[in-house]
Amino acid sequence: MSKSVLGLYDDANQAADAMDALKAAGFPLGTFDVLTGTPYPEGAFGEHVPQHRLFRFPAFGAIIGFTLALFLTTATQIAYPLVTGGKPILSLFAMLVILYEMSMLSAVISTVVGIVIESRLPNVNPGVYDPRITEGLIGVVITTEDDQADTAIAALNGAGAMEIKQA
Amino acid sequence: MASEVIHTAGAHAEAHEEGHHELPARVDPDVALSELVATTEANGSAVRTWAWILGILSLVGIVSFGVKVGIEWGDQAKWGYTAAIVAFLFSAFGGAPLVAIAPMIAKANWVRPVARFAQLCSLVSIVISIWMIPLILNLPMLIVDGARRRSIWFEGPDVSPHIWAVVALTTLIISSVGLIWAYGMPDFAVMRDHGTGWKQRFGNWAARGWIGSTVQWRTMRMRIGMMGTLYFFTFVFIHFMLSTDFAMSLVPGWRDAIFPMYHAISSIQAGLAVTVIGIWAARKYLGLEKYLHLDQFWSIGRLMFAFTLLWGYFFISAFIVFWYGRSGSDQMWIDFLILGPYFWVFIGAVLLIWFTPWWWLIWNKVRRSYNGTAIGAGLILAGVFLDRVRLYVAAWSVPEERIHERFLTEYPGTVYPDVMDILIMVGAVAASVLLVILATRVLPILSVWDVQQFNLLYRPVDYMKTKVSLIGKPD
Repeated sequence: MSKSVLGLYDDANQAADAMDALKAAGFPLGTFDVLTGTPYPEGAFGEHVPQHRLFRFPAFGAIIGFTLALFLTTATQIAYPLVTGGKPILSLFAMLVILYEMSMLSAVISTVVGIVIESRLPNVNPGVYDPRITEGLIGVVITTEDDQADTAIAALNGAGAMEIKQA
Repeated sequence: MASEVIHTAGAHAEAHEEGHHELPARVDPDVALSELVATTEANGSAVRTWAWILGILSLVGIVSFGVKVGIEWGDQAKWGYTAAIVAFLFSAFGGAPLVAIAPMIAKANWVRPVARFAQLCSLVSIVISIWMIPLILNLPMLIVDGARRRSIWFEGPDVSPHIWAVVALTTLIISSVGLIWAYGMPDFAVMRDHGTGWKQRFGNWAARGWIGSTVQWRTMRMRIGMMGTLYFFTFVFIHFMLSTDFAMSLVPGWRDAIFPMYHAISSIQAGLAVTVIGIWAARKYLGLEKYLHLDQFWSIGRLMFAFTLLWGYFFISAFIVFWYGRSGSDQMWIDFLILGPYFWVFIGAVLLIWFTPWWWLIWNKVRRSYNGTAIGAGLILAGVFLDRVRLYVAAWSVPEERIHERFLTEYPGTVYPDVMDILIMVGAVAASVLLVILATRVLPILSVWDVQQFNLLYRPVDYMKTKVSLIGKPD
């Protein structure tokens, strides 16, 4: 059975110490995080910053869009060959616009989809939380097994937590 | 924190010596939270009174709208003022979010207290879409009397401008709401945690389980970037669409490649002006002096000045082609849109968009004052309104049966607004202002999280014999 434990701090340095204490106590990265009411610079608390995969979405989308556009422009021109201005049937400059537009369109749409996926919203199980975080308190939250909860609480208290909450 | 910059040197230090520019004091997070959340309830009775007045004016506008549809449907010339007010509202309120988007991308610190209001202005896209309905339905088809009229839709279906207008407006609403939601999610959580009643319930729904974790902050930045980009693209496309389909293509012989850009540039100028007036009012009537400093007015004032000069550049760039072109259609442009039936409107527009703000905002003292910048903004807004009247009323006054002429040789006379036009215009402005005011009852007019981050990353420090702002700029 896993348990969520939250330590509340009114000093950002204490919260950073709590993160160090949890690391030192052997809790794996990704099981604990810092909750703030305003964005601190990334890494300010020594928190684990997971690698996002957003860049894959526009790249994949652009490849799909480019391929579709290539098929569309080639197939339509071959199916309905009209020589225009003495240029070849498959004229690159005429195709470039469609290739560019469809690549971009597909990249943008897939990025929107990617952001929805990466955002992981709505967060249906936010775990333990305290409304005072939006007032400026800093929360350090850890999700761990029941038998390790006391170790986590000790680490959080050791860094000077003003309050501990569990759920 | 990747780097720290000293945000001062010449301009700030000099201003400080002259006593014009006191450095902002830092505000504790809990104080900022309580004061900014309180703005959603502030001046309750006054806001209610104004909401009633604006609501009644909006309703009168909508009723006039219905009456006009009933008695003047199909008469294109009668809808010029509706087109003008739609173009004005999109120019002014639609341009405001760019004031937030561009400096945010450039990581400007001064924009933080301004961004929320600027983004809320995009909600006016809902009013614009409603007021656009009769314009879209009254816009001539591409095939008129068996022949294709001149437009940008060379081979497109008969209803291309109509369909693309609907697509563009739908995208505008989606990107507007998306931008406000993406940027406002932490503040919805604030309302969930510290609001009451229906605002708390709405905050709970809109916050989507926001707890302020590392991943949530990171993905929020991505969402803001994405929605900001989408809004910008939509903004540019709608200016292109409005200026070509709802103005230029209605006047035979009017061909101007610079006009869509001119339209967009004056819209950014008007968006800056709306933002200045909004934060001026918020500072004065909501007691937000602690959060809205001279820095915001000064920065926007300089941008407004720059765009005022750019207006002149874009206007002359278009004008000089027609002036030296001297063909029949070139002469028509000058005679119809400048020297013709709307000459005095044109003169008023030039004076208020360009000449007066130029010689008003050129003074450092004016740009360094709250009221001076707001007066400049008011002038610009009045000028942009007159400019849209000049362009759109003139364009819509051309009878449909003359649409195939090579260029206009006889110009329709001046169309004056009737009572319904005036009520529709007043109603549209009232509905827009009402929508923004109502939005500030749901979300604080200044973003709580952004103001708190400003305080987090900012320190006023002594530097030799002066004081400077020390600002952390995280990557």
